Amino acid sequence: MKRYSLKQFFQDFYLVLILIFLYAPIMTMMVLSFNNTKSRTLWGGFTLKWYAEMFQNQAIMNALNNTLLIAFVSALVATIIGTIASIGINSLNRLPRAIVMGVNNIPMLNSDIVTGISLMLAFIAFGISLGFKTVLISHITFNIPYVILSVMPKLKQTNRYTYEAAMDLGAGPLQAFFKVVFPDIVPGVLSGFLMAFTMSLDDFIVTHFTRGAGIDTLSTLIYSEVRRGIKPSMYALSTLIFLTVLVLLLITNFAPDKPASDGNSQKSETAGRIKKAVLAIASIAIILVVGISTYSRYSVTHSNELYVYNWGEYIDESVIEEFEEETGIKVIYDLFETNEEMYPVIEAGAVNYDVVCPSDYMIQKMAENGLLAEINFDNIPNIDQIDPLYMEMSKSFDPENRYSVPYTWGTVGILYNTKMMEEKGLPIPTKWEDLWNPVYEGEILMQDSVRDAFMVALKSLGYSMNSENETELQEAKQKLIDQKPLVQAYVIDQVRDKMIGGEAAIGVIYSGEMLYIQEEVAAQNLDYSLEYVIPEEGTNLWIDSWVIPANAKNKENAEKWIDFLCRPDIALKNFEYITYSTPNKGAFELLDEELQNNEAIFPDPDDLTGSEVYHYLGDDVDGIYNSLWKEVKSQ
Amino acid sequence: MGMKSAKRLLAGPYIIWMIGFTVIPLLLIVFYGLTDRSGAFTLANVLSIGTPEHSKALFLSLGLSLISTLICLLLSFPLAMTLRKRGIGQGSFMVFIFILPMWMNFLLRTLAWQTLLEKNGVINGILNVLHLPGIAIINTPAAIILGMVYNFLPFMVLPIYNVMAKIDDNTINAAKDLGANEFQTLIHIWIPLSLPGIISGINMVFVPALTTFVISNLLGGSKILLIGNVIEQEFTKGSNWHLGSGLSLVLMIFILLSMALIAKYDKDGEGTAF
Repeated sequence: MKRYSLKQFFQDFYLVLILIFLYAPIMTMMVLSFNNTKSRTLWGGFTLKWYAEMFQNQAIMNALNNTLLIAFVSALVATIIGTIASIGINSLNRLPRAIVMGVNNIPMLNSDIVTGISLMLAFIAFGISLGFKTVLISHITFNIPYVILSVMPKLKQTNRYTYEAAMDLGAGPLQAFFKVVFPDIVPGVLSGFLMAFTMSLDDFIVTHFTRGAGIDTLSTLIYSEVRRGIKPSMYALSTLIFLTVLVLLLITNFAPDKPASDGNSQKSETAGRIKKAVLAIASIAIILVVGISTYSRYSVTHSNELYVYNWGEYIDESVIEEFEEETGIKVIYDLFETNEEMYPVIEAGAVNYDVVCPSDYMIQKMAENGLLAEINFDNIPNIDQIDPLYMEMSKSFDPENRYSVPYTWGTVGILYNTKMMEEKGLPIPTKWEDLWNPVYEGEILMQDSVRDAFMVALKSLGYSMNSENETELQEAKQKLIDQKPLVQAYVIDQVRDKMIGGEAAIGVIYSGEMLYIQEEVAAQNLDYSLEYVIPEEGTNLWIDSWVIPANAKNKENAEKWIDFLCRPDIALKNFEYITYSTPNKGAFELLDEELQNNEAIFPDPDDLTGSEVYHYLGDDVDGIYNSLWKEVKSQ
Repeated sequence: MGMKSAKRLLAGPYIIWMIGFTVIPLLLIVFYGLTDRSGAFTLANVLSIGTPEHSKALFLSLGLSLISTLICLLLSFPLAMTLRKRGIGQGSFMVFIFILPMWMNFLLRTLAWQTLLEKNGVINGILNVLHLPGIAIINTPAAIILGMVYNFLPFMVLPIYNVMAKIDDNTINAAKDLGANEFQTLIHIWIPLSLPGIISGINMVFVPALTTFVISNLLGGSKILLIGNVIEQEFTKGSNWHLGSGLSLVLMIFILLSMALIAKYDKDGEGTAF
């Protein structure tokens, strides 16, 4: 007996270890949902504010709604199609059955990115515009295989003679199926549904490629937040979902459904009924709430619309509401994460956006490829508020100021942790070349984008960051390879949170993040400060501007939108939210003196000598940059 | 027979669906993979797997996903055995315990690992309090393997457990009665009888691990380029869909190999996860 229990102990110990492994990240999220600071690593006291914020956040609530609706409907449809198909496939001959099952496996085994992109290509080829329905079709497509795979084995176990016997006894085929076959395969059907629901809930990549304007699920919303730091209200939502599912699970599993040892079958039958009722009520409640809110959202049709395509976190949301109230135009607002991701969407025309906010070089590319409409500046009287300096700067990518209106601008520079510099006796960085100083080994966060990484290398070599010269580019590539052992990680917007968290001593960052960083450092009472320098060699001066795509359907509304954003009070609101430098002189004049003098955000023009704006270099040169960058990354 | 052919028709709607949304989209990828920007036929996209960057990324992906698959298998087999022997897995509870984490978003879970593993992360915080040396695996291949094992472990545990649950107790008792020791029972009973589940689990872990790009981005600090990252970058950043499609075609070879493996060892589709 003794030996047995020792073995049992080890078995239990192993189980507990695995459970800790599985649930450690989830516990982390739950703890973070009660954390008073936005920091992922620092505990700032207990709070419930993220829960309150979550319920007030319309974007999160809509995404939750979409996620549940898509998961439920796609799982249901997939279960019906899949169950019916399983019966059909089961009675196919050997070869056709093998072929069908082979093709059935494809969506499961194919990488999600290929599934997502291939579906997007197909929708465009079929002329189906991307939207809610395309996401639904895609989810059904990757869900059916899971249903078939869980129904088929059950179907094989059923005795086909019982079905024939039922028919002989006078049952019709349908009746025979529901009375005899179906009860046997119910467990398979249910687990197929559950699996489909789970897969749909967890999918990100396929949704990302097949969704259209204004459709966000929790996954796509989270993805757009990953870059700039997850909002704790997302952890709050996850915690709630987790607890809800856990409670339902405990109710259904620990209400005894088999006769208890005293054999009181009456009691267990009641328990079984209660259990079923709880499940049924819970699912009906979810369906009703989701269904009604979705219906009410989509049943209102608007004739006067505006499709806006913007960066994540790049507008104060109250500005959108204010615009809708003042003009009566309904805004459908959508997000992209990179210029490169936005471009094919506009080019393919799967969604007709009316107004988009790309960066300098991308505007040049879009204009050169005929994707942009000329703006009618008569409709934008507030253009006077934009400092002529930035209109002049825009000429480097929009030579006649015909296509774009500047929205934000900034520089790229070096951020460093003052305390770590002092403690480790490291020199304060002043130029790009310092990023090659071996004393910073493992302490550098580099930008994970081709142009920004090459900009750093090219500038440190004294070349133009728009270089098309192959030898210069090769030199820059070698320089980046030399730097790689010193780099801790290549990141994009995460550099902000990592630097605040003290993960690294030095990072390449966009100037617009500085206000947020300074506020967070103060809010979290950190014992260090983070300072920003514009490197001596000169840097990238970037401008993000509003443009109107050539295929826009509501061009005048788009011009009203641009005009509205140029109004000083609105520009001020957006500046306070985004914290990226504004080109709006009206808004600048409304700022505190302290902000006006903040050199990270509004640098002295003398510090910008040698700085350049990115140009579009053509597809071929872009291709060279990309393949050189791949060489760096694969070292 | 008439009834049987009527039943066959039931497969019809799905076959049409499959042609529309699985086969045609796949053919589009093949088309893109075998043409260049001007639309002319070329093998260059597929052959570019031979360039040093691409083949290095492919071999690295193969290596990391093989290691992850092996770790998943080594963790899952004793786990499934324990669950079955102890009878804990009865009902749907066990299945739920393993898929419950999947109801929390995949990106959030992976990011949570970042929080746990970082230099100033939770684990190092705990180790620090205990005066133990910290760990430094974030932004290394080890962190990527951990992320893969974490995300795909349920896909290995569940099929193995489901197959094991069907093993008759009498078979095991018979082996013992005939004098087999624990090890012999393992080799001659447990492993052969769980083979369909093992094969299915290997597939369900290996293929997604081979093609992932999110895990290597979040836990590898983007310093480690996997083939999934290359493809993702061609589609989203490089805007070269032809090259991306061509490389995807190369990956499909591995998927075809997996399908052949399943067809060989899991004829009856027993090794399903659920």
